[in-house]
Amino acid sequence: MSAYDVIVIGGGVIGTSCAYHLVKKGYKVALIEKGDIASGTSSHCDAAAMITDKMPGADAALGYASIQKFIRLSKELDYDFNFDQSGSLYVCETDQEVEVATGYVNALRAEGYRVKMVDPYEMSQIEPLLAKDLKGGFWSDECAGLNPFKLCYAFVEQVKGKGLDVFLHTKVTGVRLNEKHQVEGVDTDKGSFTTGRVINCGGVYAPEIGRLNGLNIPILPRKGVILLSEATGPVCHQKVQEFGYMVTKFANVECDRDPELLKYNVAFTLEPTEGDNVMLGSSRNFVGYNLNTEIEVINAIAKRGMRFFPILKNMSCVRAYAGVRPFVEDHLPIMSEVEEMPGYYICAGHEGDGISMSPVSGQLMTQLIAGEETELDMEPFRFSRIENRFLD
Amino acid sequence: MAEYIDDDVLVCRCEEITAGEIREAIRMGATDVTGVKRRTRAGMGLCQGRTCEALVQQILRQELKGEATPESIGFSTPRTPQRPVTFGTLGGDDL
Repeated sequence: MSAYDVIVIGGGVIGTSCAYHLVKKGYKVALIEKGDIASGTSSHCDAAAMITDKMPGADAALGYASIQKFIRLSKELDYDFNFDQSGSLYVCETDQEVEVATGYVNALRAEGYRVKMVDPYEMSQIEPLLAKDLKGGFWSDECAGLNPFKLCYAFVEQVKGKGLDVFLHTKVTGVRLNEKHQVEGVDTDKGSFTTGRVINCGGVYAPEIGRLNGLNIPILPRKGVILLSEATGPVCHQKVQEFGYMVTKFANVECDRDPELLKYNVAFTLEPTEGDNVMLGSSRNFVGYNLNTEIEVINAIAKRGMRFFPILKNMSCVRAYAGVRPFVEDHLPIMSEVEEMPGYYICAGHEGDGISMSPVSGQLMTQLIAGEETELDMEPFRFSRIENRFLD
Repeated sequence: MAEYIDDDVLVCRCEEITAGEIREAIRMGATDVTGVKRRTRAGMGLCQGRTCEALVQQILRQELKGEATPESIGFSTPRTPQRPVTFGTLGGDDL
């Protein structure tokens, strides 16, 4: 029976980042994954590290800190995860959106971030293929794109065999606790391990792992559909999104929306890939764990895409895919020890921010486990904020 | 069993991925078609693996030997659309 300082359950971006940061700290770590690295949410998404999708204040500070960490990681990790600080552009369809956007941008600028309003002429310089009848937008050169599953491989490859043992296609069947409810080991379908600490990084499957120990982790799968284009010449040079996206993400930003788009929470996003494709999104809705791509949703996303990038009309779509994001009601991840079960940690529930928040999440969990002062106040992320957090 | 494909042979023509790159992905931990695809881009191109998938399966079978079964090697997840179709058609009102 092998012994480890920490066992990380889940080989998505959160689990691999935790594993990487823990090994860097000197811990002996095992990563247990029921499938392959990045075989769930972390490879069924698009990815960007941004400031301009965050609310001013702590949220934006977290976004900024993440980008700085990615810049460092892109030099520190040998495996290339296609990090590209190419910027990001938000576009507004109506004068009302421009007005709300101006207030938002001013708030971010007051906090010192490089973001500015752009008029339709400037927008056509930044993205020449954008529709000509838009009212304005805002742009930040601080935002960046990256490949989400390559990031997972990069975290793993850097430390594999140097403090990290990886067990793929291995399913956790139980986390063993002693009579004081302290963690003492992990059982899997391939054997047992001894450890004093375990981190549940299961994402949308974190509830399933939690249930083994009577925990009620309130994470729901929220589906997003993405359409992938054929490889072509450049269509866009950075992540481009409609400002209406902010409405689907933060319900407290007020803007009028077409009811047809609200039905599947469809909002236009377009992202270039390193293979010269573009990824066209997006939708958000609750339909359980099924990864089907409904034709009605594809139809709405394609239509919305052409509204902002008319050139798409004659471009081919080669694939539609969907992923489920780990949604928590209060939109905050759970990053915490379970107080009643010493040594049992949870790091999950980042919804659509898992990729961008992975470096900081891995670092925070490492600081928590090492008993160091954490970079951020962990109070908002505590598991104990959940009312019915134990199963009856 | 089919013959050995040399490392410098292009297996995925769309993304220009060689047999050697696919073997490297298997050494990294890929055990199925999707694992190879994510690590190399083989099967991510215009034809979505319709041409190279059988060759990727063959290389996986040869490299993993007894550890692999047709079920474990699998295939790339079938996805809409069946073949490339324009966003114009997908977003048309007549759907």
